[in-house]
Amino acid sequence: MQNNVVIAGYVRSPFHFAQKGDLARVRPDEMIAQVVRGLVEKTGVNTADIEDLILGCAFPEGEQGFNMARIVTFLAKLPVSVAGTTVNRFCGSSMQSIHMAAGAIQMNAGDAFICAGVESMSRVPMGGYNPMPHPGLAADYEQAYMSMGVTAENLADKYDISRLRQEELTVISHQRASDARQSGRLTNEIIPIVNGDIIISSDGCIREGTSAAALADLKPVFRTDGSVTAATSSPLTDGASATLVTSEEYAKANGLPILARIKSIAVVGCEPEIMGIGPVNATKKALSRAGLSLGDIDIIELNEAFAAQALSCVDELDIDMEKTNIDGGALALGHPLGATGARITGKAASLLKREGKQFALASQCIGGGQGIATILEAV
Amino acid sequence: MIIQTSALQGMEIKRVAVIGSGVMGAQIAAHFANTGVPTLLLDIVPKGAEDRNVLASGAIAKMLKGSPKAFVHNAAAKRVTPGNLENDFDQLSEVDWIVEAIIEDPDIKSDLYKRIDSVRKDTTIVSSNTSTIPLSRLVQGLSDSFRQHFLVTHFFNPPRYMRLLELVVGPDTKPEVLSIVEKFSDHRLGKGVVHCHDRPGFVANRIGIFWMQSGYAAALASDITIEEADAVMSRPVGIPKTGMFGLFDLIGIDLHPKIDASMASLLPAEDAYHQQRCDLSLINQLIEKGYTGRKGKGGFYRLNRSGGGKVMEAKNLKTGKYAPVQKVDLESLKAAKTAGLSGLLNHPDRGGQFAWRVLSNTLAYAASLVPEVADDIVAIDRSMTFGYAWNAGPFALIDQIGVANFVAKMKAEGRTVSDFLNLAAKVGSFYRTVDGNLQYLDIKGDYQNIPREDGVLLLEDIKRKSDPIISNQSASLWDIGDGVTCFEVHTKVNALDMKVMDLINQSIDVVSKDYKAMVIYNEASNFSVGADINAFVELIEQKNWQAAEKMVAKGQSTYLAMKRSPFPVVAAPSGMALGGGCETVLYANAIQAHVESYLGLVEAGVGLIPGWGGCTAMLERYASNKKRPNGPMPIVTAAFETISTAKVSGSAFDAKDIGFLRPDDGITFNRDRLLADAKARALALSDNYESPEAAEITLPGPTGQAILTAAVRDFKARGLATEYDVVVCDALADMLSGGQAADVMAPLTEEDLLALELKNFVGLMKKQGTLDRIQHMLKTGKPLRN
Repeated sequence: MQNNVVIAGYVRSPFHFAQKGDLARVRPDEMIAQVVRGLVEKTGVNTADIEDLILGCAFPEGEQGFNMARIVTFLAKLPVSVAGTTVNRFCGSSMQSIHMAAGAIQMNAGDAFICAGVESMSRVPMGGYNPMPHPGLAADYEQAYMSMGVTAENLADKYDISRLRQEELTVISHQRASDARQSGRLTNEIIPIVNGDIIISSDGCIREGTSAAALADLKPVFRTDGSVTAATSSPLTDGASATLVTSEEYAKANGLPILARIKSIAVVGCEPEIMGIGPVNATKKALSRAGLSLGDIDIIELNEAFAAQALSCVDELDIDMEKTNIDGGALALGHPLGATGARITGKAASLLKREGKQFALASQCIGGGQGIATILEAV
Repeated sequence: MIIQTSALQGMEIKRVAVIGSGVMGAQIAAHFANTGVPTLLLDIVPKGAEDRNVLASGAIAKMLKGSPKAFVHNAAAKRVTPGNLENDFDQLSEVDWIVEAIIEDPDIKSDLYKRIDSVRKDTTIVSSNTSTIPLSRLVQGLSDSFRQHFLVTHFFNPPRYMRLLELVVGPDTKPEVLSIVEKFSDHRLGKGVVHCHDRPGFVANRIGIFWMQSGYAAALASDITIEEADAVMSRPVGIPKTGMFGLFDLIGIDLHPKIDASMASLLPAEDAYHQQRCDLSLINQLIEKGYTGRKGKGGFYRLNRSGGGKVMEAKNLKTGKYAPVQKVDLESLKAAKTAGLSGLLNHPDRGGQFAWRVLSNTLAYAASLVPEVADDIVAIDRSMTFGYAWNAGPFALIDQIGVANFVAKMKAEGRTVSDFLNLAAKVGSFYRTVDGNLQYLDIKGDYQNIPREDGVLLLEDIKRKSDPIISNQSASLWDIGDGVTCFEVHTKVNALDMKVMDLINQSIDVVSKDYKAMVIYNEASNFSVGADINAFVELIEQKNWQAAEKMVAKGQSTYLAMKRSPFPVVAAPSGMALGGGCETVLYANAIQAHVESYLGLVEAGVGLIPGWGGCTAMLERYASNKKRPNGPMPIVTAAFETISTAKVSGSAFDAKDIGFLRPDDGITFNRDRLLADAKARALALSDNYESPEAAEITLPGPTGQAILTAAVRDFKARGLATEYDVVVCDALADMLSGGQAADVMAPLTEEDLLALELKNFVGLMKKQGTLDRIQHMLKTGKPLRN
């Protein structure tokens, strides 16, 4: 490669339940602006050098409308020369923003990018305010618009993922997130959000002491004879995340704290009715482009949209859970759609550094039937 | 000349405190909050409590969950501030009215009053919700100012729903205090106020407790079963179907021995109550075993769940054992059906004998209480109708029997007859109508007009004095003065049939020519339960599709003509307005609703969608409400949710939330003031009135339908919708999204939408699943989940 691309900073807001959580009253543009400001301060990047703010968002309308990225450059007090674009690949939006920056850097089209993501699932409903599907497609190919819960049930059926296994993964996710929070391993990545007199500084979705027994009583939420419950689905979440993506040369010249180098990237489509299996082929593609096999990977961030979905990918790829989502996943932390991609990629990069390992993978599934993956290596 | 102005003059109740967060206190606070008044709810701090407001906060939380709902809207709960009698006592200096609803102990109450007196403003009114303690005892040893601002305000359970409020003043109570409380209670709380004298049990409970005790004693002394006693002492007498033993269970059996002892100790030795007292050992046994009524394990009735089933059982008064409830078969009940109340009371079987014994005792007792407990018979009859939900009070019941017959039968049994009863027998009746005025017999033997409070307008009074402008079997149009007319439906349960439509059409002509406005209103317990489905189902069974479709189309054209008429139409619902009844309300130009209005488009329950314009009207309402989010879909999803789930409002405030009422529609708390308020609204609108133009609505078309049908299939997968729900919802989705041809670039007219509504209605009406639902509903009264 001509220009190596590195991740030189990662932060996020606390994640909170939509509607009832502490961030419900915070506008998404304001929330991500504070996170971007936090990233700038933490990394010390010279803002005049930033080419573009690439902001992922799954439902860019209402308060998330008006090309929110440009609005955020103003709110975050970035120089007027910093451009802004809002990108949408549903849940993969902010991983996509990192991929776009990587591509631009390789093209010599900029040295430094802020690649961020945000979603207020409280303030802009999933599906948006005016969901208007193409009626012909909806009739002939209804899975194009299929609800995410149903796709999780489909995977549970297809890959024979028992309810018990889904609950076990949920418990593990909460335990790991809870341990990480208690031992302060999450503090570094969180930018507290200020809302008037209130400061929101820690995560709100993690449940301490969750037990499999407590989950067993819940009713399935998507199909009466199904196995997916509210606990084994990631919660509707408000949150924001941001990464600093630069050329390796620029980072080194400016003394930026490099977390990891981007080794390879991939996106791929799959059947919409089992969209949750998307990470399998995305990962295979990215591994092959990196010239690696899964066995080479030390750290994995695999998004847990649903326990059944994550486990289907684990089974298909033969993933080792011991090196996967070691600080907890979306089942516990929450899944603010547009923000998750930058979170797991930034998290994978920072874990690589923290754990002193060589290769990391971040991958997630995407509604409508897609997968996206990024492979990172230590610098 | 010195003009003395009272500090109370013009005083308004702006803040209220209720002390005591038990069942009554909490619900009284809730009802004050319902009217929009900020209310402080205080109670003691329980020993060792971490949350010092735990009693009041707990009571509020419980009310938000409980049924029947104490709040008219969850937002009202935010107006109740919980507190405690230690930290928050000083806040009592900021309120205008303090209602005390603590334990019935005169010494504890007295101590509290002394504390209150030390912090209250000079003008703060204090009232007690006591039901047993004389006012004279309560104010002993208190300051002049306290006594001048004190009275008894006795609410009935549940306070939001029971209309009676008994007011008792002492010799020192200032007239202004009474007038402020009375005005607020009448206009704002919507209560039927009755002035009572300071006697034990005041009016309603004095008679009600006598009636229950007398009934219990009579049942013990006869062979009658409790099922029979309740069958007799309910509907045939115009008393709620709970009857007497059912009422014991509802109130709580454990209260009865205490009430009985209290009445016995407070009433003078010559009072007839003492003769009704009897052995209460069976009741005491029930209490000991936890059978305290519906709040306990059961009472005279219980639901036996042993063996997995649910069997309603009744207590055998002789053996003391429970046995499954028996169907009642008494000749006297058949006599009641054919020959009315007298038929029941004169029947020689045990039902007739029981009814006569209990009722003659109770009615004669009531007649002996004028003027001891209240000035006149009107106050007593109102107490029993408002407080015990009797259709007719004791004196109206005696009139039904015939005073002469009643007195003659008593005399034949050798019983003493009070002077007042003899007097009434001589002049003929307790009530009479002269020149269209309803009059009552006063204690001196003169007839007096029944006074109506200022501003009260009742259709029943108008009907007594005049003939309708036009009328048919199902409806009438009345002149209610000042150029305003009142359209009244008077079918069985106010079901709407084609004759109602005929008269609306005729009324449009008459009112256009000779009047300014029309109010749609009636004084039945429910505004209307919907279209007359019997006539409709006959046509469906005969597959007479043309005639069935004509019925629907006629309803649509009638309502549309009414809406667009050159005069304003104001609907004034109270109680249920369902299906077609709801559509009547939706097609009025404005609504003045009684707070207890239960509106709903419930057609989905019988496999249909609204067809008289309900779908179109809801779309128009959601589209024109500026508070709702923009774009074509929110309108559609809101209407879909309201209609597909057959949402029924729990109050007029709730109806505003759902969207049946527009943001500027009015709400009246006092049922007796509804017509006057509606008339005032109609008159205000009639100035330079312009009838509404045809509405245009932008709808999404097939894309909207795609989203809704997908959602319904998800609901079915989740077990929340049945197979036939999907069929009904598909038709509803087609209607609400604007049909196959709709597009966001091509707004639809009201007429387009009504045609689409008709098309989808007719499509469903021809389906077997719909017929199955209708027939099941007619047979069982319950929806079929096919």
